[in-house]
Amino acid sequence: MDAIRFDGVHKAFRRAGIDFVALEKVDLAIAPQEFVAIVGPSGCGKTTCLRMAAGFEFPTSGEVTVDGRIVTAPGPDRAVVFQQFALFPWKTVFENIELGLRNKGVPKAERGDRVAEAIALMNLQGYETAFPHQLSGGMQQRVAIARAYVLDPDVLLMDEPFGALDAQTRVVMQEELVRLARRNPRTVLFITHSVEEAVYLADRVAVMTRRPGRIKEVINVKPVRVAEHWDDHARIEDVMDLESFVHLRTRIWKSLRDEKGSQDR
Amino acid sequence: MIARRSIVGLGTIMVLVGCWYVLTSATGLVSPGRFPSPQDAWESAWQVTVTGYANGRLHEHILHSLKLIALGFLVAAGTGVPLGLLMGWSRRADAIISPIFLLIRPIPPLAWIPLAILWLGLGDAAKIMVIWFAAFVPSVINSYTGVRTIECYVVEAASMLGTPRWRFVLEVLVPAASPMIFTGLRLSLQASWTTLVAAELVGALYGLGRILNVAQQDIYPGMILVGMICVAILGWATTRLLAHAESLALPWLRTAEA
Ligand SMILES: Nc1ncnc2c1ncn2[C@@H]1O[C@H](COP(=O)(O)OP(=O)(O)OP(=O)(O)O)[C@@H](O)[C@H]1O
Ligand SMILES: [Mg+2]
Repeated sequence: MDAIRFDGVHKAFRRAGIDFVALEKVDLAIAPQEFVAIVGPSGCGKTTCLRMAAGFEFPTSGEVTVDGRIVTAPGPDRAVVFQQFALFPWKTVFENIELGLRNKGVPKAERGDRVAEAIALMNLQGYETAFPHQLSGGMQQRVAIARAYVLDPDVLLMDEPFGALDAQTRVVMQEELVRLARRNPRTVLFITHSVEEAVYLADRVAVMTRRPGRIKEVINVKPVRVAEHWDDHARIEDVMDLESFVHLRTRIWKSLRDEKGSQDR
Repeated sequence: MIARRSIVGLGTIMVLVGCWYVLTSATGLVSPGRFPSPQDAWESAWQVTVTGYANGRLHEHILHSLKLIALGFLVAAGTGVPLGLLMGWSRRADAIISPIFLLIRPIPPLAWIPLAILWLGLGDAAKIMVIWFAAFVPSVINSYTGVRTIECYVVEAASMLGTPRWRFVLEVLVPAASPMIFTGLRLSLQASWTTLVAAELVGALYGLGRILNVAQQDIYPGMILVGMICVAILGWATTRLLAHAESLALPWLRTAEA
């Protein structure tokens, strides 16, 4: 059974009395423990797709299912990393990350360990008692990622989680995420504007058309990655130098560029 | 910087007191029957503090007024804030309650005084009721606005994390709305003082308003001024107290300024 399925999903928002079509017949199936990245022009409906899988938004027609059940509400089985972080400003870094575990009823001692682990993973040591506004944008984003990761959810929904990071931190986080994803695979729906990031991280990359969004094509990266032993390289730049990587990246980039181009006309 | 400011402020006050002295005692430009001299004010203060005036000594009046303020304000905040939060969160509660609100709100709180005295007499209960009516409204409205302006992402994040209802109310809804809640409480406190003094002016056995009322009947400007200054000082002190409570309750905003 697929972990996440979009079946003929159509989404219209009503704005000022007019139906505004954001998504038009989106079909996509994500297998359990598969890492799928979505790339597409701005405003094509990537966030809308992710929000429907999370249970914040519902299709106008069609179905979104997670583990075979139609999504009706948000829940901690599907942890979300929001494009706007969405941290709780009145909670410290520790409390922000801890809340999900408290809600699950995890005992206090274990919570402390798991939060500390997530904080270490995201390189936030020393900021446990800081409030979000005392952190840089990149650090806030890391807290948001830690808050999702600490739940150890079956499904991770990440909306441009590295968007606010500086180039160095971003690379570190990407390498870290690859290590995690390969060692401890989860079903991941990952939205990004960076084709390189998508190719480096994902098993498959879905390219969306410009609005109204559809899935234009899905490129299978994993067979190439496995055949060419990308994961033997610890550093992202070494992978990005490989001919097989460049080839895939260029192919996706061209596909995406056709969409961006058509927006200008 | 702060020390410098307070020195300047102190200077302003001393100049004002100097002018006061010159206009009253020194030159007699303002007649003592209209406005007391510093000497008169001092003697009035001494009298009310030591021998007493209008049924009691100053600290008795002050304690009485403070007690009514505390009770009225707490009752108003204790009912107004939860009601505002409820109306902000639940469209249904909003739909049911706002019409009542729209009807009652245009009535100035002071217009309730006669009815309150008729129902509850000249005692404390009537005053607490009037303070409640006056202080209730700002608490409701600002708590309501506080909930309405919560960013939807914060609510979504809480539901994504599986936050149960009561924890959501206590740890997400209330803190998110709390800056506005405190704005409402500040306005409520001001309204409490305004109404208390007015209510005590109309009829009371003790209290600062009672001092003002008796002094007016006795044509005693010195005592009127003492009463006014006491109200000003207490109003300022309770406002400071609330501001202190706010900074303790909202530590994440405190660090934003530091
Ligand atoms: N709640 C809403 N009400 C009305 N229109 C909406 C709403 N949410 C999204 N839209 C519209 O739907 C379209 C898709 O939005 P969405 O946020 O999914 O785009 P996106 O692909 O994530 O863009 P970006 O890459 O810039 O984040 C946009 O044109 C947006 O204006
Ligand atoms: Mg988006």
